[in-house]
Amino acid sequence: MFLEIHGLKKSFGDGESRTEVLRGIDFAVEKGEICVLLGPSGSGKSTLLNIIGGIDDADEGYISIEGEKTADMNEKTLTKYRRKHLGYVFQMYNLIPNLNVKENVEVGAYLSDKALDIDDLLKTLGLYEHRHKLPNQLSGGQQQRTAIGRAIVKNPDILLCDEPTGALDYNTSKEILKLIQEVNQKYGNTVIMVTHNDAIKNMADRVIKLRDGQIRKNYVNETKISAEDLDW
Amino acid sequence: MKNPLFKRLPKELKADLGKYLVIFLFMTLTIGFVSGFLVAGSSMSAAYDESFEKYNIEDGNFTLSSKASKVQLERLEKEGVKIEESFYVEENADSDSDGKTDATMRIYKNRTDMDLICLMKGELPKADDEIAIDRMYADNNNLSVGDSMKIAGKDMKITGLVALSDYSCLFSDNSDMMFDAVKFGVAIMTDSGFDSLGTTHLSYRYSWQYDKTPENETEEKNMSEDFMKTLARTVSLTDYIPQYANQAIHFAGDDIGGDQTMVEVLLYILIVIMAFVFAVTTNNTITKEANVIGTLRASGYTRGELLKHYIALPILVTLAAAVIGNILGYTYFKDICADMYYGSYSLPTYVTRWNGQAFVLTTVVPIVLMLVINIVLIYRKLTLSPLKFLRRDLSRSKKKKAVRLPAFSFMNRFRIRIILQNKSGYITLFIGILFANIMLLFGMMMSPLLSNYQKKIVDNMVAKYQYMLNVPEDEEDEEEAADSEENKSTLMAVLQKMLTPSLDTKTEGAEKFCAYSLKNMPKNRDGESITVYGIQDDSQYVDLDFKDEGVYLSDGFAEKYNIHTGDELTLKEPYEDDTYTFTVAGTYDYPAALAVFMPIQEYRETFDRSEDYFNGYFSNEEIKDIDERYIATTITEDDLTKVSRQLTVSMGSLFYLINVFSIALFAILIYLLTRLIIEKNTASISMVKILGYENKEIISLYLTSTTWVVIFSIALSLAAATWIMTLIYKVMMMDFSGWLTLYIEPIIYPEMAVMGLAVYGVVAAMQYRKIKKIPMDQALKNVE
Repeated sequence: MFLEIHGLKKSFGDGESRTEVLRGIDFAVEKGEICVLLGPSGSGKSTLLNIIGGIDDADEGYISIEGEKTADMNEKTLTKYRRKHLGYVFQMYNLIPNLNVKENVEVGAYLSDKALDIDDLLKTLGLYEHRHKLPNQLSGGQQQRTAIGRAIVKNPDILLCDEPTGALDYNTSKEILKLIQEVNQKYGNTVIMVTHNDAIKNMADRVIKLRDGQIRKNYVNETKISAEDLDW
Repeated sequence: MKNPLFKRLPKELKADLGKYLVIFLFMTLTIGFVSGFLVAGSSMSAAYDESFEKYNIEDGNFTLSSKASKVQLERLEKEGVKIEESFYVEENADSDSDGKTDATMRIYKNRTDMDLICLMKGELPKADDEIAIDRMYADNNNLSVGDSMKIAGKDMKITGLVALSDYSCLFSDNSDMMFDAVKFGVAIMTDSGFDSLGTTHLSYRYSWQYDKTPENETEEKNMSEDFMKTLARTVSLTDYIPQYANQAIHFAGDDIGGDQTMVEVLLYILIVIMAFVFAVTTNNTITKEANVIGTLRASGYTRGELLKHYIALPILVTLAAAVIGNILGYTYFKDICADMYYGSYSLPTYVTRWNGQAFVLTTVVPIVLMLVINIVLIYRKLTLSPLKFLRRDLSRSKKKKAVRLPAFSFMNRFRIRIILQNKSGYITLFIGILFANIMLLFGMMMSPLLSNYQKKIVDNMVAKYQYMLNVPEDEEDEEEAADSEENKSTLMAVLQKMLTPSLDTKTEGAEKFCAYSLKNMPKNRDGESITVYGIQDDSQYVDLDFKDEGVYLSDGFAEKYNIHTGDELTLKEPYEDDTYTFTVAGTYDYPAALAVFMPIQEYRETFDRSEDYFNGYFSNEEIKDIDERYIATTITEDDLTKVSRQLTVSMGSLFYLINVFSIALFAILIYLLTRLIIEKNTASISMVKILGYENKEIISLYLTSTTWVVIFSIALSLAAATWIMTLIYKVMMMDFSGWLTLYIEPIIYPEMAVMGLAVYGVVAAMQYRKIKKIPMDQALKNVE
């Protein structure tokens, strides 16, 4: 398996205020799969994504990518791991406000020796005409497309998406999901997407449902449909 | 109900303690120093003002070539003045009894009516071999009560330290550019002790007071001019100094006032810079808390309520700094500042006084400045609509486009974006660095400037000795009378000639010259003393070729009054209305004084002197064959270098203090503003960390842009500071008699740059640690 997660546990706080967020998570994802993590608020899906992304650490258990365990990595190696393997897309875009669209994408390109052609990518993302605009001059959808551009420009092995449509309207959300699917098909990246929108599971290869820090369901979606056909 | 937002203030203070503490400490120390300076200054100024009445200070003094007769004095007193003898003797002093002359001591009898003395330590002399010397001269020469010193070769016991009320500043000559409290002192002896010094070096000085006190300065000047005319008609006047023109009496009083204005302006500039720092950092906080502000505004909080909240801490910090600063001012700094005054002036004792104006200037004004600047800059931001705050869109115009950048590398464009994003912070940083560098330049340039001036004086000294002679006033008239009556051959004429003192010398290399003191006539200010020299053709001392018609000016004179070759120069008699106009033929490198050089024959014609008239010698050897009575003054290297010496003594510690203060200001501003820039970009830094940027890359982005700005600011500020200093210096020097050529030692620039960069290096290392500590989840926390 490309990505393996084994016995992952995580809790916050001490004593009486201690909350177990992840209570032993085990699953694996194949290379090139779109994996959707579903669950209500507080189910631990964002924490799980952050641990996969190497920006948080687990109390127990491990994550391994192509046999390499993140728990064994020091801060420097972990940085290299993120640099080499991961692309991140957040709900609130997290673009750098003082850089224009193209420069925000360049922030990602800088990290890779095999970066995609930025202008081509901007055209693919429908952002080429907006490339000189600052983030605050863009709509939510345009900002999220820029964030996706920043994440995929370095052609990462894994694209981590944390509620990528959480702040967008229906049409724009579908546009973004379509884009993620196109990117997955075109570049073959593994996509792990956190969402509480149940309809999105239909575009996934694998669906993992979380509740109270535990996996309630983990299955391969045999009836995968195009993002364009999603409805909610 | 009390605004619940105020409950946040202690938490905000705690969260940002570093910033508030640094600003608080800096403002406290600055306000403390200024408060101490103003309190010490006003207390000493009051003591100085009161000294006029308390010590019955003269309305002026004049010196005669010989003792005035009783009849002459009675005639003068009929003009409505009271005259008192104030004879003095100037003797060589050997303070450390090593057999070498260290200084000149001007000795008076104890005064009983006018110009009384203030006994500061010990007691007044009672025996002929006892002396009470000026307190400041004693300090500068490490003398104290009970010590002995040699005066005119005799051992004298110092019984007391005194301040002479007519010598609050130790000017030996009123036309001097600067006093000299190291090599010139005043002292008091008993009447018989004074008489025992003999009359060889006795000066017939008289002090006067008007019977009717003048009502204002104009009346005082008119009365003085009338009295001077009467004096000129009645006695043989060699010097005349009305009180208002007496530097020994007024220099200290004028200087105390002048310094206060400068220090107040300094305080306000610093408060304004700190207010900008507060405003910039508060604006950053507002940006960070935009959604909270939007929610509060949407819930019904007014702009005023939010404004009060955001300006509360800057005002509270300023208030605390003002209160504690004033307490320090009245306790600790007052004594330091008083010592600075005592280090420069021979002032009488003082009593600390409450200074209401100083309290307002150091408390109310800083708070008002802080309030106004913060209200103006913060309120503007708060005028945005609640919706804009909720959307975290704090730009005023949607259409504002990103500046297009040239095709630099991505990293460099990123850095430029950071600079553009933080331009208000960087502009504040530049202004702060400029201000700090102006002060640092002043602090660092003065000592080398004085040394350079001293060196230039020594290098350009006309001769090792300049002797000014007392030419008997009637010598010439008698000669002319003898010529005209054609009775040279009579026995009387021969006897007359024999009795006339010889002013000739056989000293090798001695060269005759003429010198006369006139005043220049600048517009809108009082003229100052200009020495006019008549120089022999082919002089071996003054390297001037008088081929062209006209006179040569000392370079300092030309520079100070902006006079060029070909200009016309008008000088006037100091005590009369006669004027002389000359054409300027060029300048001569003579930094020691403001002077005019002309051929000796032209001098004699101009001032209506005989064909062989002279009144001085240049010589590289000491002249020993002229009767001491006819040597009025001997000017040596020590006399010419006293300006630099005195300024170094009285201002040296101040220069050092200015340097320390400037570097502290520099460090604080760089620390606060780089910190602000990093705080402003915390989410972005966190985000790029998530993306996989390494710490060194992040530092290279966020600190390199600041490094560029700091390097650019230092370089530009050095050039700007030099230009501004040139202007300030000229204005400053116009108030001095004479001219010190502006000289900025080249090494100062690399030194300043290195100091600036070293300070920045330390701050950058601190910020490096801060960047490293920014957690990656910071970007996620800001997600709404």
